[in-house]
Amino acid sequence: MRAPAAAGPHAGVPAAPVQLYQVSRHYGAGETQVHALADVSVTFPAGSWTAVMGPSGSGKSTLLHCAAGLDRVTAGRVLLAGQDITHATDAELTRLRRRAVGFVFQNFNLIGSLTAEQNVALPLRLAGARPSRRDVQTALADVGLADRGRHRPRELSGGQQQRVAIARAMVTRPSVLFADEPTGALDTGSARTVLRLLRRMVDAAGQTVVMVTHDPVAAASADAVVFLSDGRIADRLLRPSAVQVAERLTRLEG
Amino acid sequence: MLRISASTVRDRWPLFAGALLTVALGVALVQSSVLVLVSTGEPAIPPGTSGRVAEQIREGYVGAATLLGMATPLAMFLAVFIVGSTFAFSVEQRRTELALLRMLGGSRPQLIRLLLGEAFLLGLAGSAFGILLGVPATWIQARLLIGIGLLPGDFSARWSNGMLLLSPAVGIGVAVFGVLSASYRAARVRPLDALRNAPRATRVMTLGRWLWGVSSLALTVMLVVAGHGADLLGALLVAMAIPVFGSVALSALSPLAVPLVGRLLGTVLRTSALGELAQANLRDAVRRSASTAAPVIVLVGLLVGLTGALNSLARATGADLERSTAADLVVASTGAAAARIPRIPGVALASPQSQVEMSVTARHRVEHRSYRQTHHSGIIAVDGAAYRRTHRLTLRSGSLDALHGRTVAIGPGLVGEGVRDGTVTARIGPHGFTLRTVARLPEVLENGSDNFLVPRDLIPTAMLADAPTETLVQVAPGTSPHAVADRIRAAGIGEVRTLRQWADARVQTQQRGTTGIMAVLMGMSGLYAAIAVINAVVIAAAERRTEFAVARATGLSRSQVVRMAVIESAAVTLIGLLLGTLVAAAALASFYAGPAGVHVLSVPWLLLGLLIMASLAVTAAASALTALTATRPSPTALVAARE
Repeated sequence: MRAPAAAGPHAGVPAAPVQLYQVSRHYGAGETQVHALADVSVTFPAGSWTAVMGPSGSGKSTLLHCAAGLDRVTAGRVLLAGQDITHATDAELTRLRRRAVGFVFQNFNLIGSLTAEQNVALPLRLAGARPSRRDVQTALADVGLADRGRHRPRELSGGQQQRVAIARAMVTRPSVLFADEPTGALDTGSARTVLRLLRRMVDAAGQTVVMVTHDPVAAASADAVVFLSDGRIADRLLRPSAVQVAERLTRLEG
Repeated sequence: MLRISASTVRDRWPLFAGALLTVALGVALVQSSVLVLVSTGEPAIPPGTSGRVAEQIREGYVGAATLLGMATPLAMFLAVFIVGSTFAFSVEQRRTELALLRMLGGSRPQLIRLLLGEAFLLGLAGSAFGILLGVPATWIQARLLIGIGLLPGDFSARWSNGMLLLSPAVGIGVAVFGVLSASYRAARVRPLDALRNAPRATRVMTLGRWLWGVSSLALTVMLVVAGHGADLLGALLVAMAIPVFGSVALSALSPLAVPLVGRLLGTVLRTSALGELAQANLRDAVRRSASTAAPVIVLVGLLVGLTGALNSLARATGADLERSTAADLVVASTGAAAARIPRIPGVALASPQSQVEMSVTARHRVEHRSYRQTHHSGIIAVDGAAYRRTHRLTLRSGSLDALHGRTVAIGPGLVGEGVRDGTVTARIGPHGFTLRTVARLPEVLENGSDNFLVPRDLIPTAMLADAPTETLVQVAPGTSPHAVADRIRAAGIGEVRTLRQWADARVQTQQRGTTGIMAVLMGMSGLYAAIAVINAVVIAAAERRTEFAVARATGLSRSQVVRMAVIESAAVTLIGLLLGTLVAAAALASFYAGPAGVHVLSVPWLLLGLLIMASLAVTAAASALTALTATRPSPTALVAARE
């Protein structure tokens, strides 16, 4: 696997926590084969927030899954947190998920039987650490939910649940936070709170965020937008406005 | 991990309730069996009991221990099977949650530990219930064994503190063992599954399932082949093993059979829109269908197979007894009354067989081992010549005509135990003497047959007069046995039966223990299967709320949805019944040809019929109730809900 010099810096010294080189992902075989990703090269720079957009079926979810090591690529190379994960074993990927990667989902995916505090502590416990209460409370305070630690997910609003999910993703101080439609199930007010929270994490702590979204307003909070269409990168925008994003998206869908 | 296990069990207890009850029942049964078994270790023989009665008490204790020894492993097998299938199903239901744990950094070994932790807690809780439940269970079991005459009326099982160690070990063992395969399945859940909203269509026939199913099937086929040429005992052993392996095989492979049978039922179901929908669901939800069918397969295979095998054995024994006995009537009386039988008009030949109170000590030689044993029961005083004429036996050696004076014949009960020709020592009351062996009888099918035959002239007259005696009677040619029977009854000699009645009664007495234990086993497995089926139906209904709502939004009425669910579960139950009957048929196959050429197969049709009715009723009721509950909320609320 040869990486073109233009696409990335010297091997082993990654400037960015996530890099994809000429990545393709095919599903199925023969006539029914689907090219979810076709020869995509993209770098998500450290300390920046990138939104991935595109019409349904454009491959944006597959891109996120491949970048996070959740799905195998058919061809190409994926670097995550300085490690080539193209052929990583399950144990190596598990270790990466513990220390380098955080996830936020559209439907929050909190564990219903655990309290907010227990949910936040879970990744650390899974990694074999004994998290102190103070660490967990700090993580919850960072998302403005210091007083909700003892509550179960069903006792929290959607926006609060998503903030608990963000605290859970951030408690391991990951190199990169992957967010899959993080505002998709929220009302406008809660969505705005969550986006402000992500923005602060990027600005204040230099957090790298990769976010898949449908929502031009959410995408406008990011530093850059990558547009996908038919499994290929179709366009990019820097410092976008919601109107610009909506306009590009309409053009792609048309 | 144990903390997550604990909170999962606490939060999702309906998912575990069935498994908990299964473990508790299993622990209770094992505990009560072991307590009774330990207490039968030292038979309590009241002082002053005669040698013969004491030996009969001891034999009863051994019989009870044997039955418990048979029933306990079967109960354990059922418990492991039910816990296993419950957990396998629950892993499927919790796919998203397990994937999420993987996504948050959980490793495969951690997921295995999570499920094993749940199993541990389940086993612990189940054991606690089981130990309590075991107290009345022990009492019931002892009563039952007393009721069928194996144990004396004053028997009571003693509590042992060892149970506090053994019972939790059994409970936790059963739960953990049952969960093993499910935990490995859980470890294969991929993190990506957490991101998919709909449960991904996973392959039902996994490699492990194939291997497990095919190897069990191969073993079953081998057993069937082995049973084909086997003697009766071999056939019985094969018939006991086949239901276990056959049920495992067909349960594992049932996802293959579901669409096949679904297509067969299709011709019937397709006549209505509901039926067509039910058939499509059946084909689509193979995994759910398999979970419901599995316990039914085990239930039918095990019960019909075992009962059929035991009944066939009884029938063969009865046939063997009838074939080898040349008599028209059998009279039960005292020895004194029996002496009057030959004088009844129409009696051509009377062969009295009296049980006598004496002891015989013989040397046994079995595989290089030699030991002396004193026997008190099964010693029968006979008239050698009459005995020979009323029994169609080919002696192993010697002649019964020589059975006079200080002689003895080795009976069918001991021939297989290595008692050879030579002399034995005997004792009647205070007198001891030596008896010379003049004949050895062949082995018979019957269990607990006679040990020694001694000549009547050896026994003191007074003793013989009191001895319980069975007289085999041949009537004179041209005389009606019925008329002779009436005459014997009129003479007040004793109870008269025809040969067939006598043989049937004798077999039934020997089978009473097995029948009692089979009843307990049937009750247990019926209960287990019901738990498992209800469990599967209830768990499945939870995931189908949205599906039901969509069906209603498409225009089905609530009662139509319920009817669809009932048709579906009835079809699945039929599949289970069909496969279970197949297992039972395989178990009974070796009896069909009839070892020794006698037609002995006895199919328990009544039991099969009852099982069919009960299974259909239970699954239909469970699915109707859960479908009613699941369709209570308005369909629009559920269709709109994302999760």
